[in-house]
Amino acid sequence: MKEHATHWLGAYLDGELRGLRLRWVESHLKECAVCHSELEALARLRTLLLESPAMEAATPPERFVAQVALRLPRRQEQPPAQRALELSWRMVPIGLLFALAFVQTAFTIAGVLQLALSMGLGGEVGTLLFPGAGAGLSVPDVFSLSQASLAGALGAMVELIQAGGALAWLPVLYLSLLVVIGLLYWSWLATWWARRRHQQLTASNNRG
Amino acid sequence: MMEGTASGGKSRPVETELELIKQAQQGDRRAFGQLVRRHREGAVNVVYRMCGDADLAEEAAQEAFIRAWTNLPRYKPRSPFRNWLYRIATNVAVDALRSQKETVDVETVYLPSTDEGPEELAETRERGERVRQAVLNLPQASRSVLVLREYEDLSYKEIADTLGIPIGTVMSRLNYARTLLRQTLTPYMEGA
Repeated sequence: MKEHATHWLGAYLDGELRGLRLRWVESHLKECAVCHSELEALARLRTLLLESPAMEAATPPERFVAQVALRLPRRQEQPPAQRALELSWRMVPIGLLFALAFVQTAFTIAGVLQLALSMGLGGEVGTLLFPGAGAGLSVPDVFSLSQASLAGALGAMVELIQAGGALAWLPVLYLSLLVVIGLLYWSWLATWWARRRHQQLTASNNRG
Repeated sequence: MMEGTASGGKSRPVETELELIKQAQQGDRRAFGQLVRRHREGAVNVVYRMCGDADLAEEAAQEAFIRAWTNLPRYKPRSPFRNWLYRIATNVAVDALRSQKETVDVETVYLPSTDEGPEELAETRERGERVRQAVLNLPQASRSVLVLREYEDLSYKEIADTLGIPIGTVMSRLNYARTLLRQTLTPYMEGA
């Protein structure tokens, strides 16, 4: 006896069959009274299901929308990637503070080291790293000068660099890093302010 | 039918809906209000067919929209917004039923007003009530597939996307639901 198409009749009724399967079911239905009657029963069931009335909402649409709006939480949940990005963004000032602390510490140690070398405590290593140690200028000198006047600090720096040696570039590096950290912080602050302003505008638009 | 089936010279609602979704994802509540207005009826009906209680359906549909708003930044418009929303609505309906855990009070069942005579009206009401009860007695997994297919006219592919199940499972659950319904509703099918 031929196989019945019972399993596929629901999908056939729903218009979900394609190609060979569809043609097979169609030709089978022409020959098989059992499957034909099954299909009719499924069609009657559908009619019956659709007779069951849909719900007529008691709340008018506008009131429904207003009720939902009142219950909406202030903030939406951010996707994990965006949440991580947001957290990183908030951590930027702390990172910059750490960078500043690191730079200060590193250059203080470098200054002390240079002072020790200039006093001849390092022997030949001192002469190699900082040949102009006897010239009377050191990194700490430049730092203290930089607090007094910019022109004075620049002059002292030029003198120090002209004296040569690996440690002679330290003040330049130090000041450059300070400038970079400062610029990054101000950029962050400006972006933060712009974002805040944008959020306030969006919120006021939503309220209006 | 679907929002995406724009035709000929008509305006293209897909773009409008996408725009609304994008705006709502940026936190625009008015754009989300438009989405609520568009999908309110569908969401309420899905929940109603799932739980069979008119009051609960409106409450749960609102809850579904609130969940949709909260999770909207995660929504990716690869599948229609309606399907995504119906998935949430189905889950909310299941949660609501779990928390309620009791049979629906017949007073809360919606019975439409018709022009039929008293006898016919009583018969129609009884049949409607039997159908509703039969659907409610289906296992939850089969019921959600049946509701989305018969009442929301979603294709198998859309149901599969909405519920996150394979198309084969959609078909088998639908077959199972129909078999159970035919067993229960045989006396009423003769007149249908």
